[in-house]
Amino acid sequence: MANIQEIKSAFEKELSTCQTLAQLQDLKVKYMGKSGELTSLLKGIKDLPAEERPTFGAKVNELRNIFEEKLNYKSAAMKAAELQRRINEEKVDISLCEMQPWGALHPVTLAKNEICSLLISMGFEVLEGPEIETDYYNFQSLNIPYDHPARDMQDTFYLADGILLRTQTSAMQSRHMEVKKPPIKMVCPGKVYRSDSDASHSPVFHQIEGLVVDKNVTLCDLKGTLEYIASHLFGKDTKVRFRPSFFPFTEPSVEVDLTCCNCGGKGCSLCKGTGWIEVLGAGMVNPKVLENCGIDSSEYNGYAFGMGIDRIAMIKYGIPDIRLIFENDQRFLKQFGK
Amino acid sequence: MKLPLSWLKDYVDITEDIETLCKKMVDIGLEIEEVVYLGENVTNVKVCKIVEINRHPNADKLLCCKVDIGNEIIPIVTNDHNVKVGDKVPVALHGANLHNGLHITKGKMRGEESFGMFCGSEELGINADMYPNADTDGVLILRSSAVVGEDVRKEVGIDDYILDVSVTANRQDCNSVLGLAREVAVALGKTCKEPDVSYTETSVLTADLVDVKVKATDICKGYYMQGLTDVKIGKSPLWITSRLAKVGLRSINNLVDITNYVLFEIGQPMHAFDYNDISDKCIIVRRANDGERIIPLDGKEYELNCEDLVIADKKRAVGLAGIMGGANSGIKESTSCVLFESASFARLNVRRTSRRLGLKSDSSARFEKGIETYTNNLGLSRALHLAEQLGCVKVTCGRISIGKVAEAKKVAFKKDRIKSLLGIEIPEEKIVSILESLNIQTEIKKGKVACVVPPYRDDISRDCDIIEEIIRVYGYDNITGTLLEKSQVTCGGKTSDEKRVDDIKNLLTGMRYNECIFYSFGGKELFAKASVAPVDENNYIRLINPIGEDLSLMNRDLAPNMLQCVALNLSRNNTDLRLFEVGRVYLADKLPLSDLPYEQPRISMCAVDVAFEDFRADVLQVIRYFAKNNVKLVRSDSSVLHPGISADIMIDNVFCGYFGKVHPQVVDNFEIKCNCMYAELYLDKLLEIKNRIVEMSNGDMRFRPFAKFPSVTRDFAFVCSEDIAAQDILDEFLCLPLVENAKLFDVYRSEQIGAGKKSLAISVTFQDQNKTLQDSDVEKQSGKALKNINAKYGATLR
Repeated sequence: MANIQEIKSAFEKELSTCQTLAQLQDLKVKYMGKSGELTSLLKGIKDLPAEERPTFGAKVNELRNIFEEKLNYKSAAMKAAELQRRINEEKVDISLCEMQPWGALHPVTLAKNEICSLLISMGFEVLEGPEIETDYYNFQSLNIPYDHPARDMQDTFYLADGILLRTQTSAMQSRHMEVKKPPIKMVCPGKVYRSDSDASHSPVFHQIEGLVVDKNVTLCDLKGTLEYIASHLFGKDTKVRFRPSFFPFTEPSVEVDLTCCNCGGKGCSLCKGTGWIEVLGAGMVNPKVLENCGIDSSEYNGYAFGMGIDRIAMIKYGIPDIRLIFENDQRFLKQFGK
Repeated sequence: MKLPLSWLKDYVDITEDIETLCKKMVDIGLEIEEVVYLGENVTNVKVCKIVEINRHPNADKLLCCKVDIGNEIIPIVTNDHNVKVGDKVPVALHGANLHNGLHITKGKMRGEESFGMFCGSEELGINADMYPNADTDGVLILRSSAVVGEDVRKEVGIDDYILDVSVTANRQDCNSVLGLAREVAVALGKTCKEPDVSYTETSVLTADLVDVKVKATDICKGYYMQGLTDVKIGKSPLWITSRLAKVGLRSINNLVDITNYVLFEIGQPMHAFDYNDISDKCIIVRRANDGERIIPLDGKEYELNCEDLVIADKKRAVGLAGIMGGANSGIKESTSCVLFESASFARLNVRRTSRRLGLKSDSSARFEKGIETYTNNLGLSRALHLAEQLGCVKVTCGRISIGKVAEAKKVAFKKDRIKSLLGIEIPEEKIVSILESLNIQTEIKKGKVACVVPPYRDDISRDCDIIEEIIRVYGYDNITGTLLEKSQVTCGGKTSDEKRVDDIKNLLTGMRYNECIFYSFGGKELFAKASVAPVDENNYIRLINPIGEDLSLMNRDLAPNMLQCVALNLSRNNTDLRLFEVGRVYLADKLPLSDLPYEQPRISMCAVDVAFEDFRADVLQVIRYFAKNNVKLVRSDSSVLHPGISADIMIDNVFCGYFGKVHPQVVDNFEIKCNCMYAELYLDKLLEIKNRIVEMSNGDMRFRPFAKFPSVTRDFAFVCSEDIAAQDILDEFLCLPLVENAKLFDVYRSEQIGAGKKSLAISVTFQDQNKTLQDSDVEKQSGKALKNINAKYGATLR
């Protein structure tokens, strides 16, 4: 019996000197392996008197359990320490937070996409037309014959007799109405061209044309549509105002003002103190235009509007000068990226 | 159109303040560009009477005056010696501002107190057309009727507003005081007076004076003439000259001033011929002969052609119709008999001649906007009235009238149309009262609206025109928004091509490229910079009327704009440039254009300071969106790119664009000092390929089970000549049925391998869908490839 006590204290002494998992393993083999101390002790059971054997056996087994428990405990502690050490070693400086910027869509594209999405949600199809147009589609089909004073409103670039750079995306109206019969809901974004160039005008700029032709389309529908667009582009409190105007292809024709998104209508430098900013022209499609495309104007009517995307983008993003739009300075472009 | 408020008040009784007036005008469609108060810069200047003048005790050149300003007598020191006791003069008091920017304070002049300063005409911003004797130097001596103590602005006529009204192109009738007065009356709910056109005729018959023939009736719709005898040419009265001054015209003489006055008041351009300069008592309106010459009143000689319209006698042209009279028949001091002309010349014709000759006048500007025959008679009558009123003429009997008199138009339509167009109900009596206020006689009966439109409203011809009149007066604020509640539902959206372009733009931004937008035209100089091959201008679509030579040719490539943009960015020290454009180039089958050209959509990409391999990966990422297979890169001969570091992209043997390093010469041309990569992709071709692929697969995407059997990977190293393309060797593996992939993973050069040679390390993955591959299968497959590679490219296993 004394032997058991000796073995126990010897084990404990050795256990306390173990530094590594390998040493633990060795210790385990030494005491509990096939020829380990405990095994040999058990082997000596046959030399004991029969009545002592059960007690002895039980004691040895108890010792085995204690050893196992102690070994496991120490091994777990060592593993945990080892893991902690590794974790400590692997620590890095995580503070650096430089983000590579995404590339950016051009602000004109952003504004165009936003307006198109709103109209698509109302059932408009998006179409693009040719930038080099015939006089017919750009002017005549839109009720602007050769001697019409309205031609003076737009300085046109000509490429050949009867061929020009479109001055308005309205040129797509007749093209579309010739092939599609009502109900029509169309939006046409794209480049347009006019031969003036100064601080506020560029010879190339962008427009979006909207056209609806159906039965029962009214001026109220035009206003509702523009209110829908305006409230999403510039905030839900934006108000829409119509002022009388003139376009040969709409009758009645209106200039459309929005409450200034900069000052909310109080008056500021952007709206020149008026509280309103002029953003687009619109009106009810002139029956002559419908008739030119073979649509019965007694049955159908419609509305049309055309807005400058560049101007919308400039207002929405606070871009002070149209030249920035076409200059493509990367410091400008990057500001519109993610 | 410049509109003096005082002139407007001749026709409409206006009691509203200027802000209210402007707002009401804007509300009915008269846009006000600017409102100028003429006296804005002249404040605290009063009419005073000089009651005493003494010599200045300390200065010979100065006078010490005592002046009455109504409620007190104040001292004023002046250096102007043209004043005398009893004169009424303008005096700027303490705190006054003057037209020339002076600010007046009281003070002492050489020891004597002065409470202000006497003013001359310049300090008040007036000239002799606006006030008598305003052209003399020194202090302005006012009329004796001037009221002492009153603000001087009233006395000198600058207590007035000038409204700059922008008139829409359909409302040529509003390019006159009378036309605007009619609108203002409607806006204010008042009545508009008619101009006084009364005059007395003598017994001299106009027809005896002159015979008029209009030969070009197509471009002269109306021609009216009446004579003036006993003409006394002289100065116009102040009320005429001051009004002309306010709209920016100089006074010439009484008769010419009358024609200008009528031009602005009635909107009818007029001309006055000296009767004695017209030979054979004959006026002929005809087209000019080719090469015919004329010297108009500006004194320069112009050569005409048969598109120009002239007024002539039997011998010669005496005027350029609608533009300017001839120097040979103008009004002069000796003129004793005059022919007044009032006509309608075709706007396009006037415009064309005016532009071609570079000769403009107030008259031509008005004709270019369109003049209806209605105003011909009205204008002429008004001119005769004014001439008689000035007492400088006698009016001949009868009028020569050629052309149809404008008639009132009738428009009728169903009343329902108003609601169906506007979406709101307007009370019937409101409709009638609005239209009547516009002089449109209206009757609504049994659901039908019948209107008679006044002859000066040539813009109104059908129902929608009348409805516009109703709503613009009724007020657009009454329109409330609705969202197409009664229309049919439609399916909207972008076309599949448009969606793909959006995808590509998003892909490129994800790869850190920034989108650019450029002009669609450029110049030869720019195009030549972006190419090592010569640029032939004749291949480009040319603008007939460009802004400048540098913006005169439609783009055939996207590269010039992009490279110019890179140069600009680099000059501003912008780094890490990655740019792209989705744009169009304009390719004509035949020049000069007879049909619309092809507008080819393209993508350009540019990156600075990136390796060819990295840029190629970016380009191929875009290409992969359109096609996964049958993409081949071959050496490019693009004139923009470095011949050794550039490739053409072929998909299914179709050329789809090129990319690579920008040619060193081109980079130099733009003074780009960095390594610059450029790609230009043909978007139309790529979309065609994509659409074909999608069509073949019916747009289906279907799951395929994973391979059940393990794949086998083998590495090979080939030694071959430097000019062998690695892709060719890979292709020898890739064309084998069991090869799933083949990749180049290393290129190695050394002395041991030999000069002009390289070693290509290639990893090949074999896969059989039906069984586990045996070594022998792999040997058999790769054996074929090795044989071909050796035979075709002389490459041997290392």
